[in-house]
Amino acid sequence: MPRLTRLLSSLSSALGPESARLELKWMKEAAERSSGSLRLPAMVERRLRGEPLQYILGTQPFGALDLLVRPPVLIPRPETEDWTLRLSRLIQPSPERPISLLDLCTGSGCIPLLLCNTWKPGSVNAYGVDISEDAIQLATDNAHRCGVHVPAEMQPRRYPFNTFKPMLANIRDPSFLLSAELRPPFHVITSNPPYISRQDFENLPPSVKGYEDHRALIGDPTVYPEPPCSESGKGLTFYHTIAQLLAQQDILTDNGVVALEIGFNQADDVRQIMQNEGKLPKTEVWRDPWNRDRVVFAGR
Amino acid sequence: MQRGFLQFATALRSRRLLCSRCSRSFLRFQHAEASNDAGLSSPIVKLIEKKVEERNQLQTQVNALEDMGSADSKRLMKQLSESEPFWNAWQDWSRTIQLLRETGALLNDPDPYMRSMANEEYASLQSQVSELLQMTFPTLVVPPSKTAHMSAIMEFKAGVGGSESALFLAEMMRMYLRLAQTFRWKTNVIASNQTENGGVKDAIVEIMGEKAYDTMRFESGVHRVQRVPATEANGRVHTSTVAVVVLPLAEESNAEAPDDLFSMDDIKIEVMRSRGAGGQHVNKTESAVRLTHIPTGITVSMQDERSQHQNRRRAFQVLRARLMDRKLTQEVVDRRDVRRNLVRSADRSEKIRTYNYAQDRVTDHRLGLSLKNLESVLEGDSLRKILDALAKKHQDDLLQEELETS
Repeated sequence: MPRLTRLLSSLSSALGPESARLELKWMKEAAERSSGSLRLPAMVERRLRGEPLQYILGTQPFGALDLLVRPPVLIPRPETEDWTLRLSRLIQPSPERPISLLDLCTGSGCIPLLLCNTWKPGSVNAYGVDISEDAIQLATDNAHRCGVHVPAEMQPRRYPFNTFKPMLANIRDPSFLLSAELRPPFHVITSNPPYISRQDFENLPPSVKGYEDHRALIGDPTVYPEPPCSESGKGLTFYHTIAQLLAQQDILTDNGVVALEIGFNQADDVRQIMQNEGKLPKTEVWRDPWNRDRVVFAGR
Repeated sequence: MQRGFLQFATALRSRRLLCSRCSRSFLRFQHAEASNDAGLSSPIVKLIEKKVEERNQLQTQVNALEDMGSADSKRLMKQLSESEPFWNAWQDWSRTIQLLRETGALLNDPDPYMRSMANEEYASLQSQVSELLQMTFPTLVVPPSKTAHMSAIMEFKAGVGGSESALFLAEMMRMYLRLAQTFRWKTNVIASNQTENGGVKDAIVEIMGEKAYDTMRFESGVHRVQRVPATEANGRVHTSTVAVVVLPLAEESNAEAPDDLFSMDDIKIEVMRSRGAGGQHVNKTESAVRLTHIPTGITVSMQDERSQHQNRRRAFQVLRARLMDRKLTQEVVDRRDVRRNLVRSADRSEKIRTYNYAQDRVTDHRLGLSLKNLESVLEGDSLRKILDALAKKHQDDLLQEELETS
């Protein structure tokens, strides 16, 4: 017992008493469940060094799912959970009218997997693309963990259950659609692309900057010799890339919709990019539970 | 054998095995027994008889009906069919009483063989009478529990006594979790605020299963423990308290779906603590949620789960249980206005039980019942006895209320 007290007090000085109490409880539960592979003092030690709690515990709840998380793949955020659930209520596909969904920068696979889990069986074929091999492996593992079928083939097919296929590809590659062997059109395109500006990145907390994949965070991956436009540096590169994809013929069905997570101060810019470059005139902005702009939702 | 006894006696007599003198005494006893049987004039028998008379009047009305299809006729027929159980029970009762009288006459029969048979049969008929009086009739009269299908949420709060109270709270929680296991109910500790020395300051436990709420509801109230705390150096006995509230939990399916208990417009949902820029910028777990039901001012905060979604679900579940509890309490209050109230709504500040370690006893103050062997209460066996007695008392109160108001 005194040992637990010591662990709590050292965590308290790092996290504050309230978070320390909860995090210690979660670590204790995980240690008990792990039957020996996780030891509480070592977990607390890792936490004190700044490692994210989620990597230490190895899982993160996301809606009704309990997903695996592994460094360096981006940890699913509560903001993403919130809007994914909102999307799952807004669009309700059925086995009679199944849809095809594409998630760009899928990471752990959290968005398509939660949708697959929420929507009726046989109502969605989902595809997830990411540039990171770690992410594709984790997304595949998560699909298995959640009981979502991972099909071998690319062609959308009618199954009596929902499917999710994670694929390694670079969406900034000009021949992306062809090389990824994707089969458009899609009814829904979702993405939580990297959106942190270089300036913000420098000031990120160590638990983010020091542990999570920079490719999942930094919105402007390459520093251009000459800024392509006046807004360079705002972390919007991926929205331009996605808009260019969307502007191509037949990637989105006529009544298809796009849901893109954004940084708290990017709503106006991303709306304009979707309207002007993505040829999607109807846009709206969704707020997260902390009342920050979090999603641009667009359609024709 | 019981019903055939009279026929059997008659057969014996016709074979001249029973003399005519015995036949006469047989008739005499029949009258004597009729007047001194205690059960015959009890209030519940009178009530059932009244219901049967009402039923017979209904029957007359139904017989006189001309248009069987009219709404009025349908209503009468429905009433009649609802009163059928009273009729059936009354038939049983009358038959049994009749047989009892007849058998009673043979108890003093000069023939020892006849006497012993009559004795045997008489005892069996008596047990049938008491079964009717104590089980069949009360269940007909007392309406079935509307909450029988409900699961329960138990809320615990340490009261007087600081850390000693928290330690006892943890022991009480274990007691109820063990008890739930013996009932094969599923349990879930949905919130617990642990202290550093192994105590629990407050906790919420979900107990899922048929009759969980009906069984546990009488645990609401203040529980008092008297003992020398492990932390007490001078060996002084401390008195500490733990407050328990048991709430009804209707359905597990979708706690957020609004219904007659609340409308979504009345709920304010707040996430606690700021996340700065949020999104990709932050990976700290901030999952606490607070709900406020604006019309009643009830607030529920949940932070024990790692996901906001789960905390939100839990918070709605607890809010729903609190609102259901309010509704049920209100129903009891409303009834009190029209009927003399015997069945009180639980007063949650009332001391209901004392766990005294020095005397190794547990006293339930509502029952006036003290049980030796405190350990056996904590282990569950004796707790079950207390719960049974409380349920019985509740049923008796309900019955008394019916008898006094019908």
